[in-house]
Amino acid sequence: MIKQLSVFVQNEIGSLAGVTTVLKDNMINLRAIASFDTPEFAILRMVVDQPEKAKTLLNENGFAVKMSEAVAVELEDKPGELDRMLQTIAAAKLGINYIYSIVVRSGKIPLMVINTENLEKTAVVLEQNGFIVAEQEDVIA
Amino acid sequence: MIWNETKECMSRDEIRNLQSARLVKMVNRVYHNVEFYRKKMQEMGIEPGDINGIEDLSKLPFTTKEDLRNNYPFGLFAVPQSEIVRIHASSGTTGKATVVGYTRKDIALWQECVARVLAMAGIGPQDKIQVAYGYGLFTGGLGLHYGAENLGATVIPMSTGNTQKLITMMLDFGATAIACTPSYLLHIAETLEEAGQIDNIKLKVAICGAEPWTDNMRREIEQKLHIKAFDIYGLSEILGPGVAADCEYHKGLHVYEDHFIPEIINPETLEPCREGEVGELVFTTLTKEALPLFRYRTKDLTSISYDKCECGRTLARISRFKGRSDDMLIIRGVNVFPSQIETALLEIAEVSPHYMMIVDRINNLDTLEVQVEVEERFFSDEIKELEGLTKKIAHALQNAIGLAVKVKLVEPKTIERSEGKAKRVIDKRKLI
Repeated sequence: MIKQLSVFVQNEIGSLAGVTTVLKDNMINLRAIASFDTPEFAILRMVVDQPEKAKTLLNENGFAVKMSEAVAVELEDKPGELDRMLQTIAAAKLGINYIYSIVVRSGKIPLMVINTENLEKTAVVLEQNGFIVAEQEDVIA
Repeated sequence: MIWNETKECMSRDEIRNLQSARLVKMVNRVYHNVEFYRKKMQEMGIEPGDINGIEDLSKLPFTTKEDLRNNYPFGLFAVPQSEIVRIHASSGTTGKATVVGYTRKDIALWQECVARVLAMAGIGPQDKIQVAYGYGLFTGGLGLHYGAENLGATVIPMSTGNTQKLITMMLDFGATAIACTPSYLLHIAETLEEAGQIDNIKLKVAICGAEPWTDNMRREIEQKLHIKAFDIYGLSEILGPGVAADCEYHKGLHVYEDHFIPEIINPETLEPCREGEVGELVFTTLTKEALPLFRYRTKDLTSISYDKCECGRTLARISRFKGRSDDMLIIRGVNVFPSQIETALLEIAEVSPHYMMIVDRINNLDTLEVQVEVEERFFSDEIKELEGLTKKIAHALQNAIGLAVKVKLVEPKTIERSEGKAKRVIDKRKLI
């Protein structure tokens, strides 16, 4: 399991930059970022190297932030890998809420970040099927 | 046409004498039938015998919307329930409605007043009038309806909510008159224009009210539709639509002074204003049976003139409204208080009670957006949860104020906090 931050932002010009400026000013490194938008607002999901510190700083700057866990899975860079993973999750009858990827990892293969209705079970099912599920330390490095 | 020349063209002395005689009777009746007023008069040390004419009017206590609310629902009624033939209600400031009642005679009085308004606008038995105010607890629909029937016009009870049907019937039935809010009439005009049907209507006259509008808006309506438009004013506490209206000279709204005494007071000092000076409009009912009120504070700001009008009427005229002495908004003809929004939000745990109301007019229809801050402790990172929350808030607000509301979730602490009275409303509607 890894930690991810979700930030509520209004769907307005400059709103995402408002979040990244706080991170930049405090030397927090982003590992992955994905934004999910509606016409009125967006949720910015991030994986950072110092999640607790980032949450505190964003709160101080007036953002609503939620820290939660997500499953991160190593995926080899070859056709069919994502499909194999999704089939495994589907076969276990687990619904996926969202998915995004961490590509930047020095010398390591990319990670897929997945949120489902049951994280524990997802992690177990994937490991049983030969996937490598990453931990927070794997993200920081 | 003057519907009731005897009453609408009396000399000022005759008006004063009639008002005095009616006031004395009314005070007696109220003192003996309404405990609230009896107690209030006793506290002030006055008896019915102290009121000998309208010169004594200022001895009587004021009445506010809060008094009506505190006596919810029927506490201020002056007749037994068996004599009440109709109830109307409007939204109150904090959830509880303001309830008004009518006896058979009150309904007749209302029909008389509305018939005077319609006749003043040139409407008669030969006309077909579409009543496009809401029917129901709101006084607009049924008030105009009964008045138009009394006049002998053919009433088409459209109510609100279906512009296409209204236009179809306007064309097919050859409607010659319409009663609705001025902004809705502009919307109808634009819809007719887009359909290329504006030259096919038989409309001659419109009776508009239930929201503030300007002379410019009147001229725009008149030019677009090639009709004459008139202003009607009223409030359910006093009667409903038909307390006052303007004539073809558009130099203020004639108040039916044989039934209602208007006063203009300074809302701070409560002292009377001079003729022509802007202050808060206050009404005392003279003939209402079910709900007679002393010096009811309307919170509407206006001035008054007692000069005889060019139309021949001698009734006092109140000028177009200059605003309100409270924070009430009129949105699509519905009275809305910011406190209603606040009360509704306080009942929803997931949001903070900080909010901003943004009122706008898009295509001549009023819109209301309410911005609400997301509370961090309830912030979900799932879009479907947040959308569910948005819907839940919109539903609660619509229940509270009776209007569709667009809810926008905003970031925490982005709504201005202020030390004193927080700014809760941005009204972008331009009443030019």
